[in-house]
Amino acid sequence: MEWTVLLESWIWLGCAAAGFAILFNVPVRTIAVIFLLGSLGGSLKLLALKLGVGAILSSFAGAVLVGFLSIYAGHLRHAPPFIFAIPAVIPMVPGAFAYRMMLGLIRLTRDVDEATFLHLLEETVTNGLKTFFVLMVLALGVAAPMLLTRRESAKHIKIQTIVRGKRR
Amino acid sequence: MLKCCFILFFGCFLPLNCHWVFKLPVASDMKEKVIKSSQELSKILLEVGAMLMAAGANTSRIRTTITRIANVYGFNAELLITHRALMLSVYDDKLDYFQSSLKRTFPHGANFKVVSGISRMSWKIVEEQWNYEQIWNEINRLKSLSHYPRIVILLMVGLSGASFCRLFGGGAPDMLATFVATFIGLIVRQEAIKMNFNAYLCVFFASFTSVLIAGGYVHFTPGAQAEYAIATSVLYLIPGVPLINSLSDLLDGNIMNGIMRGMNGLIIAFAIALGMLCSILIYYI
Repeated sequence: MEWTVLLESWIWLGCAAAGFAILFNVPVRTIAVIFLLGSLGGSLKLLALKLGVGAILSSFAGAVLVGFLSIYAGHLRHAPPFIFAIPAVIPMVPGAFAYRMMLGLIRLTRDVDEATFLHLLEETVTNGLKTFFVLMVLALGVAAPMLLTRRESAKHIKIQTIVRGKRR
Repeated sequence: MLKCCFILFFGCFLPLNCHWVFKLPVASDMKEKVIKSSQELSKILLEVGAMLMAAGANTSRIRTTITRIANVYGFNAELLITHRALMLSVYDDKLDYFQSSLKRTFPHGANFKVVSGISRMSWKIVEEQWNYEQIWNEINRLKSLSHYPRIVILLMVGLSGASFCRLFGGGAPDMLATFVATFIGLIVRQEAIKMNFNAYLCVFFASFTSVLIAGGYVHFTPGAQAEYAIATSVLYLIPGVPLINSLSDLLDGNIMNGIMRGMNGLIIAFAIALGMLCSILIYYI
């Protein structure tokens, strides 16, 4: 039962990534790979969430997976890796947290008594911080392979044969 | 008396100068060639840089791409990259010759076909030693590349909105509402962009429309969960490219560019929030 749920969300994650890929006007040859990357990263996040890892760390795990896979995808389809990485991490964006923070802010501006205000404030700050950190961690995860391998261009990472002996 | 001294002083150098100029016609010919070449090259480099900036590449990518192309033709290139303008200085070591130029960048909008095309072009230039005309042809080809058909964009983005809704736990009716809200919101945004509204105002209109539709569904359907449809109907507007580019610029040490991009993303997020706020106040959710 659990696995069918995961399989279903796998498809929806891929669709969300592919939709954004088309919004960003990616080359046609990359769409299938973006679908795959988005669903793999997203399901890792969902899996981690199910195992009890927090929202921030599990998003980080998903984003790092997407970041590393995007390097291989770049070699495979001859395109810069971030073209794959950005649409693929977007399904992991914390839309629910951001929405609750927004709603909290709106409610805070209305006239409320002090007890409700404090309760609302607590909720809003928690949701806002979660949104902020998850966004940060997503960007960090995408940048991770470039930071760890310390290369200027993804073309030089791992698969040296493509470079054909030119510079570096 | 002073004037006389000046004339005498510069007079001494005059014949020497002329001699030097007339004696080395070959060198001056070569210099002319280098100047021509560097002028043409800086035009190309600025065009490439402006296209990359507009298409949503991060700062270090622009810098490495431009340096890579310039090195093929034996020049060094230094760049000052800002959000709305590029400043380039092409330098020839042997002749000690500088060529500086400036270019304004176009309005921004993510277009990864251009980024990918320019990346491939830069490697082809390195490996196949293209001449300038070939580069211009490729640039013009990349500029004329079409977007996806409008209906495909609308359907796919609508589908991605519905997918978000499903992932957050919504049912089939919620998904349908999100699909419609995203579809129509995106039409509103595209039309507003066509009418040359301010970019942030376009986002505001789109967000307002989407939440108006999703909120209407929630309001008039008893038992519908508010969160799913409303929260996911504006997700197609999130500034993913500016925010991710912002952090990668900050990490690379391009702090100014990182702050600019981050600010741009924050204003977009604020415009989304404002649109939501107006619609939510209408329904008083």
